[in-house]
Amino acid sequence: MLLKTADFMNYDHLIVGGGIAGMESALTLGDMGYKVLLIEKEASIGGKMVLLSKVFPTLDCSSCISTPKMAATSHHPNVTIATNSEVEEIGRNGDGTFRVRYRRNCTFVDNAACTGCGECEIACTVSIPDEFNFDLVARRAAHIPFPQAVPKKAKIDLRGASPCSAACPAGVKAHGFVSLVRSGKYEEAFHLHMEDAPLPGSLARACYAPCEDACTRGDLEGTVSIRHIKRFMTDRYYGAHPEPEYGPPEERLDKKVAVVGSGPAGLTAAYHLARKGYPVTIFEAAPEAGGMLRYAIPPFRLPKDVVDRDIKNVTALGVEIRANARVESVQSLKEAGFDSVFLAVGSGEAWTMGFEGEDLEGIVDCMGFLRRAYSGRIGDLSGKTVVVVGGGNSAIDPARVSLRLGAAKVVIMYRRSRSEMPAHDWEVQAALEEGVHLQILQNPKRFLGKNGRLTQLEYLSMKLGEPDASGRRRPVPVEGSEALMDADLVVLATGLRPATFPFAGAIEIRRDETVNADAETLQTSIPSVFAGGDAVSGPSSIVEAIGQGKRAAFYIDRYLRGEPLDGTTFDERLPVMNKEAVIGRGPVSKREPIRVKEIAAGDRVKSFAEVEGCLSENDARASANRCLDCAGCSECHQCIRACPANAIHFDMRSEERTAEVKSVILSTGFRLFDPHEKPQYGYGRYPNVINAMQMDRLLSPTRPFNHTLRPSDGKQPNNIAYVLCTGSRDCSAGNPLCSRVCCMYSIKQAQLIMGALPLADVTIYYIDIRAFGKGYDEFYEQARGMGVAFVKGKVARIEEADNNDLKLFYEDIEGGGGTQEVEHDLVVLSVGLMPNKDVLKLFDNGDLAADPYAWVKEMDENLYPALTSIDGVFVAGTSSAARDIPDSILHAGAAAAQAAAHVERRRA
Amino acid sequence: MKTEGNRSLAEVLRDEMVMKDRIVGLLREEPKTIPELAEALGYPSHEVVLWVMALWRYGTVAEMKQGRNEEYFKYTLSASH
Repeated sequence: MLLKTADFMNYDHLIVGGGIAGMESALTLGDMGYKVLLIEKEASIGGKMVLLSKVFPTLDCSSCISTPKMAATSHHPNVTIATNSEVEEIGRNGDGTFRVRYRRNCTFVDNAACTGCGECEIACTVSIPDEFNFDLVARRAAHIPFPQAVPKKAKIDLRGASPCSAACPAGVKAHGFVSLVRSGKYEEAFHLHMEDAPLPGSLARACYAPCEDACTRGDLEGTVSIRHIKRFMTDRYYGAHPEPEYGPPEERLDKKVAVVGSGPAGLTAAYHLARKGYPVTIFEAAPEAGGMLRYAIPPFRLPKDVVDRDIKNVTALGVEIRANARVESVQSLKEAGFDSVFLAVGSGEAWTMGFEGEDLEGIVDCMGFLRRAYSGRIGDLSGKTVVVVGGGNSAIDPARVSLRLGAAKVVIMYRRSRSEMPAHDWEVQAALEEGVHLQILQNPKRFLGKNGRLTQLEYLSMKLGEPDASGRRRPVPVEGSEALMDADLVVLATGLRPATFPFAGAIEIRRDETVNADAETLQTSIPSVFAGGDAVSGPSSIVEAIGQGKRAAFYIDRYLRGEPLDGTTFDERLPVMNKEAVIGRGPVSKREPIRVKEIAAGDRVKSFAEVEGCLSENDARASANRCLDCAGCSECHQCIRACPANAIHFDMRSEERTAEVKSVILSTGFRLFDPHEKPQYGYGRYPNVINAMQMDRLLSPTRPFNHTLRPSDGKQPNNIAYVLCTGSRDCSAGNPLCSRVCCMYSIKQAQLIMGALPLADVTIYYIDIRAFGKGYDEFYEQARGMGVAFVKGKVARIEEADNNDLKLFYEDIEGGGGTQEVEHDLVVLSVGLMPNKDVLKLFDNGDLAADPYAWVKEMDENLYPALTSIDGVFVAGTSSAARDIPDSILHAGAAAAQAAAHVERRRA
Repeated sequence: MKTEGNRSLAEVLRDEMVMKDRIVGLLREEPKTIPELAEALGYPSHEVVLWVMALWRYGTVAEMKQGRNEEYFKYTLSASH
């Protein structure tokens, strides 16, 4: 039976590894009446045997033998199976029993619900090498390990959080929509974005893209252009759908929510609450909705029709936006019948700086300037000199707007150096390209005017002193450096504050005029009132405000449902993938980022037309294909949509478990020799050099290809070579031992090839043939009789011919010696069996002894098979030596008997 | 298993999601062998094997019946596609 959450935690026996030996031991002990916990790290039991084509010497179907045993193990009432689980440590208790700590790795699939239908695989957009086909073919991130898997359940290969997705304050699955665009699923990409954030058009243009800063590809030749990819998918969607495809939800709840402010935080909160069915009304003091999106970001960066279309995503859900509706108190909303309030008033008010002459006509704050500019109230600035004071993004936009209004000269005056400017460098660069003058290390001292109107500013040179609280070096005036500059207009972009003053007294307001709200829940001092966005954080960014709006909606929903706000987690994320590890997976070809077209600097200042262009479809897909799939699964959620059983849940997490057992059987199997360690054979360089396990897959009924084909071009091979003793009986490879099975599995495969490819020639290059078991020598002779050629000769090296055929150079031992050269069109390396050293690390005291070759040591193979150096710990199958299948099963029976005897002795 | 040159297997497989539409387009014209697809796509045939076999595995393409003396299978779009 499969492990469930509330399962029994005490067992008689622990078996580590669910291959043929582990299953045999488990069934034997289960039949005796013992309670067995079988822990398997893979998603299925069955080990390597179930992946073989046939077994030797009988040529019985390997799956046909394995699968009944797998099913019997799975259904045995005394055997509990924990797949996808890894033993982390086994410790010995004082009474001789064992304490096991293991980890159940999350598959993100509810096994009770999954029917193994495979629809998730077909929908998945991430292609990954298939370890169960030994990298011959792709599998999907959402996958069922292999057709005969037990349990036959899907698994999502999500290894952590992709850095891009993890970096998004709004929780947008950047990896997910990039993966969907790569697959040509553009509308699905848009819909995925809408699961988290309803303003993709605005974000695609004005987000500072923390996802790109985090992108692993950024550590190579340049980040994936995630924002431009978003722009492509959103523009394409909006082009096809001028109106949202949905309306208000059918289920309407009776609790009403008021949102104060229609900026990104307010719109996002309203969107998520309305999707849950709450009637939501947004109160906006300005004539139109959008907040900073409409009134701060200039149209050459964010066209207002895009803002309008984004807002339709919210209003289509039935959200009412009341413009020109300034809210004067929380109480008035309560009296109007609202059950909860979200304050998202933004930070649109300017701080006064206290400069002499600051009240002169011709001096404005940045937000006031932009509002008036967009409504046509600034007028023509032709011939005028504009000075913008400040170094943040809020200074760049007025400067660039001034140029477009015809200003003859625009200066940004900043009191620190350029490297300290809070504005994004690319924004500063764009302004400079357009002709803005940057005067750094200067600051106004006072403003001078005539008849109440600005004419000049007096400014000081600055130098950098010690770092201040922000970590930046403090600007210090240079004495006697005063100078005068003529100016017609000064825009003060020196800081913004939230417009929270109407609510002071009702809720707690901090000294900096932000709302004092709980950092996790955003709840204020009045339980029904929540606050977020710039109103809480001070000036931030669109995407951070959207994240706050989403968070507020989550907790307002809980509040309105009467659920506690603590004891739950909003937007719990997986640990971020290690970028170095991702890059270390293998070589990555250089693919330079694809740049979008922009209007030339000289032309773009002539109008408010959008500067940045959009990627073409081909370029968008090519850009998306630069993604390295850091976390494996991209969280594109196509599997969720495809799953008919609603079995996929990305909020599932891995679990740490413990169990108490009386004995332990180690059946962790072997690992195959890695033929990369014999570079002279060209494995990994030449596509037609494969290992024997790959050949077994090609010959299996569940083969990765439609037939037994060679990997270089899909041709049916007709001249196949086997190189025996690859990595065994080879001191140069660190393994002097014979692996016992290579000769026979190669002969088995040769016979199967003769059936599958009747015209093919098979040659086996050997040192000597070891056919020692029952029927083995007859099996060898049968192969000879079928026409398999056996050549006694050690292969020295392999080279590739032009047509992907292979030239073998070997020492011809029986043919009189000397080196021979021969061509084949496919070479199979008969790789040896190596010890799985991981098993040696399982015990906390390190007492598990290994033999000189690193296999688990049996203390006395002749008298007490399966006994290890630790009393109560036994070894089964190929954990202690290379064995064929019959010997492994026999050994597993011995281990079970020893384990049972151990438990009975302790009981006596 | 890595493939030839500097392209890792993982990188080649990632390309499948972009290449699949091109392969489907080519097979819509007429059935093709792997070398024919490779020539049309301008990619090495060992990479095309990986893409076509993934499409075969997940039901997008199917092999056609092979003639006695033909070394290569021709692939076509599966009936459901």
